[in-house]
Amino acid sequence: MRVRRVLTRWLVTLGVLHGIVGFAGFFAPYDPVEQDRKSPYLPPMRFHLIDGQGHFHARPFVYALKLREGSFDRYVENTTEPQPVRFFMKGARYRLLGFLPCRRHLFGLENTRIYLLGTDAYGRDQLSRLLFGGQVSLLAGLLGAGITLSIGLCIGAVAGSFGGWRDSLLMRLAELFMALPWLYVLFAIRAFLPLAVSPLRAFFLIITVIGIVGWARPARLVRGVVLSAKERDFVRAARGFGATHGYLFRRHILPETSSVLLTQAAILIPQYVLAEMTLSFLGLGVPEPVPSWGNLLSSLQQYSVLVSYWWIYLPALAMVPFFLGYLGLASSLQERGAAYKIESRIWGI
Amino acid sequence: MKRVTANLKCCWICPTVLLSLFVFVGPPAIAFPQEKITKEELLVLPGEVGRPGGRLVVSLRGEPKTLNPLIAADARSREVIGVMQADLVHINRARQQTEPALAKSWKISPDGLSYTIVLRQGLKFSDGQPLDADDVLFTFRVYLDENVHAPQRDLLIVSGKPITVRKADAHTVVFQLAKTYGVGERLFDGLAILPRHLLEKPYQEGKLGQSGSLATAADQWAGLGPFRLKEYVAGQRLVLERNPYYWKSDAQGNRLPYVDELVFLFVPNADAQVLKFQSGETDMISQLGAENFSVLSRQQRGYTMTDAGPGLEYNFLFFNLNDAGEKTSPEMQRKQKWFREVKFRQAVSAAVDREAIVRLVYQGRGAALWGLVAPGNRRWGNEKLPHPAWSFERARALLKEAGFSWSNGPNGESTLLDSDGKPVEFSILTSSSNADRAKMAALMQDDLKQLGMRVQVVPLESRSLLDRVTQSRDYDACIMGIASYDADPNSDISVWLSSGGLHLWNPSQAHPATPWEAEIDRLIEEQMSARTFEQRKKLYDRAQEILAENQPMIFLASPNILAGAKNSIGNFRPAVLEPYVLWNVEQLYLKNGTENATR
Amino acid sequence: MRYLVRRLGHAFFLLAGASVLAFLFTALAPGTYFDEMRLNPQIAPETVAALRAQYGVDKPLPLRYASWLNSVLHGDMGFSFAYNGPVAPLLVVRARNTLLLTITSTLFAWAIALPLGVWSAERLGRLSDRLLSWGTAVLLVIPDLALALGLLIVAVRSGSFPTGGMASVDFETLSPANKLRDLALHMILPVTALVLSTLPLLVRHVRASVADVLDAPFLLAALGHGIPKRTLLYRYALPAAANPLISLFGFSIGVLLSGSLLIEVVMSWPGLGPLLLEAILARDLYVVIGGMLFSTFFLVGGNLFADMLLYWADPRIRAESNAR
Repeated sequence: MRVRRVLTRWLVTLGVLHGIVGFAGFFAPYDPVEQDRKSPYLPPMRFHLIDGQGHFHARPFVYALKLREGSFDRYVENTTEPQPVRFFMKGARYRLLGFLPCRRHLFGLENTRIYLLGTDAYGRDQLSRLLFGGQVSLLAGLLGAGITLSIGLCIGAVAGSFGGWRDSLLMRLAELFMALPWLYVLFAIRAFLPLAVSPLRAFFLIITVIGIVGWARPARLVRGVVLSAKERDFVRAARGFGATHGYLFRRHILPETSSVLLTQAAILIPQYVLAEMTLSFLGLGVPEPVPSWGNLLSSLQQYSVLVSYWWIYLPALAMVPFFLGYLGLASSLQERGAAYKIESRIWGI
Repeated sequence: MKRVTANLKCCWICPTVLLSLFVFVGPPAIAFPQEKITKEELLVLPGEVGRPGGRLVVSLRGEPKTLNPLIAADARSREVIGVMQADLVHINRARQQTEPALAKSWKISPDGLSYTIVLRQGLKFSDGQPLDADDVLFTFRVYLDENVHAPQRDLLIVSGKPITVRKADAHTVVFQLAKTYGVGERLFDGLAILPRHLLEKPYQEGKLGQSGSLATAADQWAGLGPFRLKEYVAGQRLVLERNPYYWKSDAQGNRLPYVDELVFLFVPNADAQVLKFQSGETDMISQLGAENFSVLSRQQRGYTMTDAGPGLEYNFLFFNLNDAGEKTSPEMQRKQKWFREVKFRQAVSAAVDREAIVRLVYQGRGAALWGLVAPGNRRWGNEKLPHPAWSFERARALLKEAGFSWSNGPNGESTLLDSDGKPVEFSILTSSSNADRAKMAALMQDDLKQLGMRVQVVPLESRSLLDRVTQSRDYDACIMGIASYDADPNSDISVWLSSGGLHLWNPSQAHPATPWEAEIDRLIEEQMSARTFEQRKKLYDRAQEILAENQPMIFLASPNILAGAKNSIGNFRPAVLEPYVLWNVEQLYLKNGTENATR
Repeated sequence: MRYLVRRLGHAFFLLAGASVLAFLFTALAPGTYFDEMRLNPQIAPETVAALRAQYGVDKPLPLRYASWLNSVLHGDMGFSFAYNGPVAPLLVVRARNTLLLTITSTLFAWAIALPLGVWSAERLGRLSDRLLSWGTAVLLVIPDLALALGLLIVAVRSGSFPTGGMASVDFETLSPANKLRDLALHMILPVTALVLSTLPLLVRHVRASVADVLDAPFLLAALGHGIPKRTLLYRYALPAAANPLISLFGFSIGVLLSGSLLIEVVMSWPGLGPLLLEAILARDLYVVIGGMLFSTFFLVGGNLFADMLLYWADPRIRAESNAR
């Protein structure tokens, strides 16, 4: 079955990507908060196999970069000394998967430091920040989207299937929720949180709040679908045969909402990951020096960075496969849903 | 005070004493038919002579709120009002010293209590109405009226008593102070002289706050500044036109200002301001960050960037030294025990890598700071202030002396413990809208980690931050920046005095909490009424030393003032005082007017 | 007709509810407009206290709400501390500009998203569809601010567009035709930014909805009757998929205001965005509450519009409400 193969492919892709992020400590060469003040905005280093004298090296190497005299962000390559890349070497301590203390890193250099994606304003390794940042951001995205969708589904389904005053009330409530000044609410929440709460925990709390608050939109969409699904012939028929509310809902109406829901999920997860940028603008995001994708992207919002340091774009590009993975997963799930529907119609299941 | 500014290029200073004698003693009959005095006493500015005409376009980070100096509270409104109004005595932003403005001359009585100010004759407001002593009297009556709530009022209250103003004749006004005032004639800088003929009626009706809104018709508003209102388009721009009655001329006798129109475009985003300048749509740019400055410097096309050197902004860290009495939580009590320890504060100061801050935050366009007086202030800094180098060893030694110790964790990281064996952990507040200070906080966090302190940086949106620092006073430490509006110590008075609102670590105290704060209070109060610069400087130097010893504020760095202008702009000389590029707006001119931005 | 009256009643309830909640939440956020004055060394604390009293900031909430309602009835919508004047005139001028921008870009966005979504639904899983997916994913990752800045950089480099703003400095002196041209030229970049930022979402939804109905038996039957593919897609498939899309359309009108906030700030568009952002940060309460009321108003309007469209487009709903 083609649909299933596509689905498996997306699942495997996402699994691998999340695996890399999950094992960030091993794949990242350095501690993401470690500053190297001698190398701010250092461009990415390139792997070489042939050195300046034309000699071939079996082991790939890089050239160290040094800040040019009297400059703030211009570097010169030290081409006299090739720095061979070492694999599985000991380095900064980290906890694998959050609990296994470990020191092995996939790669590193012996004498100087290696920056494959360059460094940021403090000379921190962008690659390490990208990998570790993914842990925070993906968790926040999944958490937020999960909360939003489950609340949205419940309320939307109730409103759509019961109709009448309940529908009316819930939809007015949804509209009210969409119109509310959420910025103010978030300010207020932050103000009431004691400063002693670790900023990271405060951030997750705020993501939870945003997740709860965001129900209105999926609820409206779900309601729309439920409303029309209720009037489909096969639902009417099932009702005519004496199907209970619960059965109808589970068997016929819920599957109809899946396409809207999954599309919403595929969009919401990236949105929540990105929402953090707006949050950091208000002082509610993931605090420095903890890395997150929102942090990485928000440096793109500065004109000077945008035109001066092209490698700051790279993390954004690296995030595309993740979002694409979610979108792809959503659309193939949806196709499967469609195929399932056709099959069920044909086989009369 | 006899120290009248040494501006000898103009000829009106020498006869000051003579003239005022004449005014007091001479027969009043001379002054009678006012209209006879048609000769305008223009102020002649030395320097490059420009050519008239053209339009100057600058961007403003957002909209001004009002044109009325009596209610203007935000920087943008003040910037616009600055080019529409004039004061009696003005501080030259480049030389940081006073010079005559609407006042042709002034005299301070030997006891330092009365200031006699002689107005220029024949001056007119921008709507053609004449200016005389009654306007000045009216202005100060309004400023001092409690019901008007003018922000200027508090400047005019010297040691609890408001200044009194008396008219001596049609062009002479006498100000009487209750106590000698070290600031002297600087007092009058920025106090716009208001048009009585327009504002008297609203004042009587109690509606002064409503006049001068941006929607005011152009002929209903007037001032003595180089430009007057022409057109306001909500959310987009404010267009000012040349004031044909302005009271300055250049060396060849041409009346200033040179340009016909001054346009403020409202551009709410700093990067958008940079882009607008780069595309040639605006003629000048100021208040630039170092990053944007270097982007603009790299691709200079038709414009020149200027680094005017360190300004008057000082950035600093302070700890919460408030005494909330019994309400203090046990945790806060424990933390304040560290914060109150001078050696703890000194250790933090020693561990801060100021060189890295200047390099990484300001790209080298700034200066490391060890005291409140920023290097841009040429006269008042204490050169003998110690500049201890960045040293973790000294920091550790200080902490050890204060009873702190270290424990080694399983992962090899060391943790600082206080005398009760509790780990040293605190948070630093920073404003989320200020990227520079957030960067400083991140660097400091890393520095303090080397000492074993676990520091969390908490960015808060600015109102929430102010609320915590000044109202609820529930915080550990905070990074802030203050830009003095003038080089005189008086502009930082509320930072120094323990009763001041900007005495941030413990603001608005009824009585000084520590002996050294009491000593600073005494020194500052004394310098306020000292009569000579040398006396004031000596007292002020001592206050700076006490501050440096006790480190209630750990000073970090001071950014340079960065600006740029098109090559076609003449007389462009950015100053380190506000308004950085518009302070000599009347002298700015377009070298070849036709090539100017028209879009 | 009764339907319409009932919806208007809802709208009124909603506006009232939003205004009450707005008052509550703005009261919760820390700090007031006058806090910054306290930091100004030139202003004494007594002055600040007097100002607070004058503007009634310290009065209890119900009292403030009552006096605000009174001012709404007078057409003022409260008082702006910063501008020292009534709020309504401030908002109206800027709301007009925001509407001009956002309505234009909504129309453009839907005009692009509909054919694009249908096109990609038809090619589900093929290379062209996948390329489009990549494109939308990339657009999704780029922060709105960076997008707007990027467009401004293009403007600077090319020199053929103004870098933000809504009109040239000498707009007033232009002839009517040139005024129109000037406005259009200034609108190109912000509209592009808004379209690009909303497009990924719209395309995904259109694609999903259309793909859903594409396998429906009635479409297979229609195909069997030899109806041309284009007619099939747009005459039959699109209306059948319209239900969730209409809800989305109503919603996209509702979020017009908040959606354009940041882009207006970067593009110096003289709309509600810069005003509200500044008011929120400065705690200029009544401007914020007024702005929120405006945005509720749009939301209500958008939903009303969507409901009416649904009623008109989906016979099933029509039948149901007639039967009742």
